[in-house]
Parts: sequence; structure tokens; C-alpha cells
Amino acid sequence: MELRLDPDLETFRTQVRAFIDRVLPADMKERQRRKVANNAAVPDLLQWMRILDDHGRAVPHWPEEFGGCGWSPMQLFIFNEELYKADAPEFDWGGTHMLGPVLYTYGSDYLKDKFLPMIREGATMWAQGFSEPGSGSDLASLRTSADLVDGKYIVNGQKIWTSGAAHADWGFFLVRTDKSVKPQRGISFLIIKMDTPGITVRQIPQINGEAHLCEVFLDNVEVPADQLIGEPGMGWTYAKFLLEHERTTSSFIYWSKRELARAKDIARGETMDGRRVADDPAFRARFARAEADLLALEWSVLRVLAHEEFDAPEAAAASVLKIRGSELQQEITMLQVDAMGAKSLRFFDAAPVPPPAPTDVWPDYAPGRTTVALINRAATIYGGSKQIQKNILAKLAFGL
Amino acid sequence: MDFAKSDIQAMLLDSADRLLSENADVEYWRHQRGGALGFDEARWARFAELGWLALPVPEAAGGLDGSIEDIALLNIALGKALATEPYVSTVVLADHVLKQAADQLRAMELLGDIAGGTLRIALAHQENGAHPLGVEARGTVARASGDGYVLSGAKIMALDAPSAGQFIISARIEGEEGTGLFLVPADAAGLSIEPYALIDGTRAADLAFADVALPAGALLVGGNRGAAVLREAIDRASIALMAQAVGAMEAANKVCGAYVQERKQFGTAIGSFQAIQHIMADNFIAAHQARSMLYHALANADQDEATRSAALSAARLVIGEAGQVVSRNGIQVHGGYGLTDEYAIGHYFRRLMCIEKQYGDLIQHGERFGDSIFG
Repeated sequence: MELRLDPDLETFRTQVRAFIDRVLPADMKERQRRKVANNAAVPDLLQWMRILDDHGRAVPHWPEEFGGCGWSPMQLFIFNEELYKADAPEFDWGGTHMLGPVLYTYGSDYLKDKFLPMIREGATMWAQGFSEPGSGSDLASLRTSADLVDGKYIVNGQKIWTSGAAHADWGFFLVRTDKSVKPQRGISFLIIKMDTPGITVRQIPQINGEAHLCEVFLDNVEVPADQLIGEPGMGWTYAKFLLEHERTTSSFIYWSKRELARAKDIARGETMDGRRVADDPAFRARFARAEADLLALEWSVLRVLAHEEFDAPEAAAASVLKIRGSELQQEITMLQVDAMGAKSLRFFDAAPVPPPAPTDVWPDYAPGRTTVALINRAATIYGGSKQIQKNILAKLAFGL
Repeated sequence: MDFAKSDIQAMLLDSADRLLSENADVEYWRHQRGGALGFDEARWARFAELGWLALPVPEAAGGLDGSIEDIALLNIALGKALATEPYVSTVVLADHVLKQAADQLRAMELLGDIAGGTLRIALAHQENGAHPLGVEARGTVARASGDGYVLSGAKIMALDAPSAGQFIISARIEGEEGTGLFLVPADAAGLSIEPYALIDGTRAADLAFADVALPAGALLVGGNRGAAVLREAIDRASIALMAQAVGAMEAANKVCGAYVQERKQFGTAIGSFQAIQHIMADNFIAAHQARSMLYHALANADQDEATRSAALSAARLVIGEAGQVVSRNGIQVHGGYGLTDEYAIGHYFRRLMCIEKQYGDLIQHGERFGDSIFG
């Protein structure tokens, strides 16, 4: 057991920092740092992918033959951590981290040749069509159907909570291709172009003023049969692969580390009768608890990345990351909000980028914290609610 | 970074498994608690034979020169078995002070005695009303007298003191700055010892010094370095105790996991109820995060004092809380049986509560960590 960080990795971190410093445009960084909503403006996101791709860094986690960097899990961890710390736009996770690995693992040569470069180059935004109005945590009950007719799938149904669907060029969908078998066996993984006739997208107004989440209605949508990934009926397996492949992503560790640092700035910046919020004992105790919990989460991520030997299934360790990661996102954003007291109640519109110029009363950390905190209640709901995660964990760890 | 065990670590854990697993049950614990010292001296001798008492001792003194990771791994095993032996006091804490002693010849002799199982040393530092994280002695004073010193004052809650042959005493040296660390034999004239049991069956004592005469050689570490050495030694003891807590939590989770599958109500195992499943999930998460924080403390164990103590307090915060979550929830899923002395969970509960409060509790470590964040 050797728990100190390999000194070579510190050299790597220095190189990564210098790289980001060199290629991340200052205006993009500034827009990203001051954005009110959680989601980056689409043009910035795609341009950033193109910049990364120019330097061979757009999909470092992919196999090298498809454009990956051949880095170790620890190097990837450091690269991501530094990207977030530098306020770089996020990846288009749907393409780079969800669809990509499914495609290069199970997709036909045709699909790999067509879509992997598009994802890598930042040519397209991707939508993920999994959840349905009647299928949330019970995803296997999904009903959107795809029937093979004359070499085409005819798709009918409705998806919901499809992030960014209004701006997406393409989507990857779970659809039912066989109603005669048990629910998990009849699901397939289908790529659909979002401007195909029969698709209607409705943006859903959210409690934080954004409308990022969408409903997608599919009415006799014709999809070429060769856009089905792998084998028909294997979609559930691929979706599970996708979640297991991204075992540590759900921890949101990089995001939470950056936002905790921001909470620290807010607690130092806000005062009460001349005393910093940071010096209030109750606030400080809560903050210390959150930071300690985040350190624990970070080590739990490292344990999964290093495949620590463990007397419960590895999936149990991944499940811990999802549960604690989502709880900590919520706690950290609420620390930001609570540090501002009643000032946090001012509504800031997500639309103008950048937001109004900062003043002494409304420093540039003010707009956006509550906007994000409000929608962050979703963290313990999406991707399998916290309660479902606990059911799974009890089964994995204790056989209950 | 590598989580895999080295060959020596694997051997250590293997021997721990063989020696401890046969006596990790309620009957054994209750029997030991009823004995004079709270543990079995024959098993302590086995600890010596297996080299456990020589683990942190330098090779020059016949030891194994083990790392803090080795010590932590062994203490996870001790914690799993709820071992009540004074391992942390003697082998972790006293060893560290002796290694920093001015007279290394004498110190190596003492370390050899510890390794051989013939000497146990306990630290007596805590004073009534003093801050638990303080390393200054206030109410205990050593006055120069002839070639040596005369010691007066009082200590409380000296862990494992009743079974120790010698004590390390922190004292202010009259006319000097700082805190000196003295070695005082348990049978010194003028030293009175009031022994008692703690709720987990381990032992402690209050010590009173009425002009105890000490030779010059009794001063192990002088006032200029005493506080720093004590801080390091206590931090290492804290790491070993956290490792025991992690072992205890993981063992408690196993006990509870088995119990909720056996215990039937309404005609079915209570583990089939979601309410119970979610409690068990919470317990798994708590123990898992606790082990992660032990790793964090270990990774920073050799850093400068500010970094080390911040990491340690963060770990104590998470592990202290996790120990309470796991054992309180554990009692809850056991229902009334959790409150009996005849079920293991109540033993884990009491041990975890003791660890949480030794060398600084949740609140104090939370404060110290908070101060390290905001200054």
C-alpha cells in the first residue's frame, strides 16, 4: 500500500495546467466563470471541443485508435480536475462520455466511422433519450417503440428530461423493438437525427428560470436501420455498460471541488457587522464538514479508479460515489447560497451572458449560485434516484 | 498510488486473521472485561512473538521498521476484533516519543523491552479542564532539584495506564518554556494511581504526583521539543485509533447485515423491508467513506504539521461521525437486542464511542479543521 501521489503525476499536472492556460481563450473562460446557469453556451462548448481536438485532447479517455491519449486513470483524473479548476467549458458529456464508449465498443464500422469523429471534433451536440413520462427510476418499463418496416425503424413515443434536446443535432435513444420478451430484453439503442420529420421538442420551463430539460415527441419517425447500435434487444446491456464505464463520473468530484472553493470565496467576501461569514462558528462547522466529506469522496473515487481490492462488489463502491456525490453537490451549492443570506434570493436571468457587471453589493460570485442550487435538487433524482441507489447498494453490499 | 498490500502487509494481516478471529466474540470480550487488566496477557505475549510489538521499532533496536500504513493495517484488524490490548498507547504512542528521546541508547533499550512484550508504557498528558487537543502541560510541574527533578500535579484519563510499567508524563519545567516529557515508573514514590474501566472494557487511570523525585535521565524530551513530539505522537495514535474504528465499523456492518437476514418479523426477514435496506446502505456508505478518510490521513502523515493536522482532523471528523452512524443504526436494526450486553453490536457501539472521544472529539476536530480552512 503506497498512498502518496506519484511525483511524475505532479509533473503531468504542471504540463496540463500550462496547456490549458495556453489554449483556453480568455473571453471563453470569463463567460464560463460568470455564467448564471449550469450549462455553457452551446457555441463555446463546441468551439472548446474543436480547440481540444486540434491538440489531440478532445477525448483523452477513448482508445488511442479513436483519438484517445493513452493516459492512466490518474492522468485522466488530473486532466479533468484541471479543466474544471480553470473554468473551461464542460465536455458535451452525452457524446464524449456516454455515446462514444458504447459506439466504439459495440457499434458497426459504419457507425464508428460516421459518428466518432463528429463527437471528437465538436461538430454536433447530442441528446440522451432514455427517460419517459412513465419510466423514471423504472427505466426498463419504457414504451417508446421502434418497429422495423422495409429496412427502416418507425419510432413512436415520448421521451422526457432530455437535456439540451432543443439545441441537439443528434440523439441516442433507448427504444422498444420487441414487446414479446421480458422488458429488459426488448430494448435497443438507436441513433436518431433530431431534425427528422415527426420529432417535436418542447423545452420545459424549470424552477430556476432555465429551459434546458426537454420533452421529445416522436410521431412515426423514420430511422435508417443501420443506426441501431450493435444487436437489437441489447440496448439495456449497452446502457448498463455505459453507466459502469463511467463509474466515477457520477461523483461530480471535479465540479464539487471547484464549487466548494467558490463557496469559500463567498464566505470570505460576505460580512455581518464587519465579521466574515467564514468566521461564524456554525457556518464554519458546516463548511468543515462538507470539505471533509468531499475529501472522503475524492479518495473513494481514487479507490475505484485504482480498482482497490474490496470485499464487496466494485459496483457497490461506484454506487457510493453516486449517492454521496449528489448529496455533496447539493450541500455545496446550499453553502454558497446560505453564505449570501437573503441576498441569495435575488433572481438572475440565465439568458444574458455575461450577467450584469459586478458591484460591491453584488460581486461576480452572486449571480448564478441560487440558479444552480435550485436545479441541483435534481442531482439526487436523475440517473436513478437516491432511494433506488440505496436499494441497489443494500443488495450489492449485503445481499438484501 | 497503490492500494494493494505489500508482502509484509499481507503476512501481517494473515497472522492477525489467525490470532484474532478465534477470539472476536461477545463471550471473549465479556471474559476479558472481567479480568484484572481488561485484556489477556498471554495474547499480548503472542503479539510479541508475531512481531507486532516490534512493528514501528527501528531495525537497529531489533524491530521491523514498519511504516504508518503497516501500523494502520494491523490496527484495522485489531479494531475488527475489538481487541482491548494497549497497543496504541505502548506501540504507537510511546514508541514515537522514545524514538525522539535525547538519550537514544536508553531509548533503544526500552524499545527492545516493548518489542519483547516485557514493558508497557502509557501516556499521561490530559489534565482536568484542559483542551483535549492542547499539547501544553499546565497543572503538572517539574522542579529542578539536585541532579534531577521533583514532579507535582495531576493527570486524568491516562489510557491503558493500569497495565503500564512506566508512564510518559508531560510537565512544565519550572523556569523554562515549553513542555517536557518525563519517563516515570508506575511504582515511583509519591505517585498515586486511581484505575478505572471505560465503557468499552479498556482501562484508564487518574494519576496524582505528590513531589515525585526523578533522576535527570527521566527527562526524555526537553521543553523546547516536547510539545511538538507529543503532537506527532498523538497524531500517530489518532491514525491507529481511526484504523481501529474503520475495522470496527466494517465488522459491525457484517454483523448487522447477517442479523437483518436472520431476524424475522411479519413472517419475513426484516432485511426485505426498504426502510431497513436504506439504513444498511447508509451504514455501508459511512464505513466506506471512513476508510477513504483513513487513506487521506495516511497519505498526509509525513507532511508538515499544518497539512498533517488538517488532514487528520478532517479524517477524525468523517470517521468519528461514521462510527456513530454505523453503530447507532446498528443498534436500531437490532431492536431491543441491540441494547443487551449479549449481542456484539452494543460492544462495537461502545468501542466506537470511546474512539470518537479520545485525543479530541468530533467538535474539536471540526473546529481545528475549520480553522485550517479559513485561518
